[in-house]
Amino acid sequence: MSVLPSMIEIVRDNWLLLLVGQYPNGPLGGIAATLILSVLGIALAFPLSVVMALASLSPWRALRWPVMAMVYVTRGVPLLLIILWVYFVLPLLIGRSVPAFATMLVTLVGYEAAFLSEIVRAGIQALPTGQMDAARALGHSRLGAMRYVILPQALFNMIPSILSQFVSTIKETTLGYIINVPELTFAAGQINNRLLTKPFEVYFILAISYFVVCWTLTQAINMVERRITMRRTRDLAVSALTAIPASASGG
Amino acid sequence: MIRFVAVHKFFGALAALTDVNAEVKKGEVVVVCGPSGSGKSTLIRTVNRLEEIQSGSVLFEGRDVHGKLGGAALNHLRTRIGFVFQSFNLFPHLSALDNVMLSPMKVNGVKRSEAREAALRLLDRVGLAAKAQNYPGQLSGGQQQRVAIARALAMEPPAMLFDEPTSALDPEMVGEVLSVMRSLARDGMTMMCVTHEMNFARDVADRVWFMDAGRVLETGTPVDFFRSPQHPRAQRFLSDLHTR
Ligand SMILES: Nc1ncnc2c1ncn2[C@@H]1O[C@H](COP(=O)(O)OP(=O)(O)OP(=O)(O)O)[C@@H](O)[C@H]1O
Ligand SMILES: [Mg+2]
Repeated sequence: MSVLPSMIEIVRDNWLLLLVGQYPNGPLGGIAATLILSVLGIALAFPLSVVMALASLSPWRALRWPVMAMVYVTRGVPLLLIILWVYFVLPLLIGRSVPAFATMLVTLVGYEAAFLSEIVRAGIQALPTGQMDAARALGHSRLGAMRYVILPQALFNMIPSILSQFVSTIKETTLGYIINVPELTFAAGQINNRLLTKPFEVYFILAISYFVVCWTLTQAINMVERRITMRRTRDLAVSALTAIPASASGG
Repeated sequence: MIRFVAVHKFFGALAALTDVNAEVKKGEVVVVCGPSGSGKSTLIRTVNRLEEIQSGSVLFEGRDVHGKLGGAALNHLRTRIGFVFQSFNLFPHLSALDNVMLSPMKVNGVKRSEAREAALRLLDRVGLAAKAQNYPGQLSGGQQQRVAIARALAMEPPAMLFDEPTSALDPEMVGEVLSVMRSLARDGMTMMCVTHEMNFARDVADRVWFMDAGRVLETGTPVDFFRSPQHPRAQRFLSDLHTR
């Protein structure tokens, strides 16, 4: 059984390719590209998702409608098909070829924004209606109430969900393989093509790489989540109507 | 100052308010009482249009709250009506001080330093200067409600509405909130209070409105209302209170 030694050998010979792809002689790839794609994808999707969530909760149908349509499409169509669709249609729309990385990024931003907007919307709706009532009674506009009262609370509560979506995004970047985005899976494919006889070892290394990244992040999320739960239950325990005043708060 | 004219309100088929005609005059303290589900909250929430109505009108300072108002006009009108909720509804992500400062700054455009000064003065007025930096989750119910009153007062409204401000409180905390309300009344604030605190009604109110099944059945002085209620339902309501 020479699997382990040969895996170590593959990593030793190709670690740079796995980390950064062809860089600096070619485009940035490997884990670096995977992470950049995921971080940029979520970072750009997030503000878009907040706008979409607000639109989907708006009293105006003209704002609700496009967002709902987009959410239903992204829920009902496999990501791979959306990637292919953007890959072939986007160049036609703007009249010139688009790099694979940009294609993948655009697709991810739209796709993640649709999912995140549902998370944000749920977070907004989960707040007690009294919060909006109180803000409106003080004279805040709907948007002002969202900005200063509702969103700060909803987004804070949503931090764990948003981070989980980030982990999903990392896994979804693998689909960039199909349009030759030079990310981690693509790098592994290159190695495999070169070695030809070691697919098991190469893809096992790939799986471990994703697992380590995602598992680490998931552990971090669990920690954040525990903190938030702790903070929330402490607040609840103190403000609960039956609680004994002051004694529980130490305030 | 607050006038209800032939107000009707439905929740689907349920008539929540039926032909309400009544007036709160400037400087008056009106206590609204009545059995659970009689429409007290609904009525008071129509004054700043947290609830819509189906017909009639609610006039505040002569302006029809439910008439054709732009968003900005309605928001401005709401700044002139303080509202205190049964469940406090403080903003849990902001300290007591920031709860009080937020709206003067973001709605009225008051400078931070001035808003802060005014907020500290108001927190002092409700006896909570020492708790300015505490978050709502770290305050008792009575303290939260007093912060909520300070928050409403920060907009310098000429009238205040209270919807059962003490009903969610432990008995030992009711007094501290009522005493803040008494001092407001003493200073001449126009107030409309839904409450079951009959001693407060007896001592402070200029008028007591009795509601049942969506109608305002009595609008007498406390003396008349408690000594000789006219409507049989009001009589039953009062005797139920005494035997409880
Ligand atoms: N959002 C709503 N949808 C449907 N029905 C409602 C709604 N809000 C109130 N109602 C109904 O309208 C009636 C009046 O309710 P309201 O809350 O005004 O009574 P209340 O006098 O404030 O009672 P309580 O003393 O229990 O607070 C009740 O029958 C209630 O069930
Ligand atoms: Mg009520």
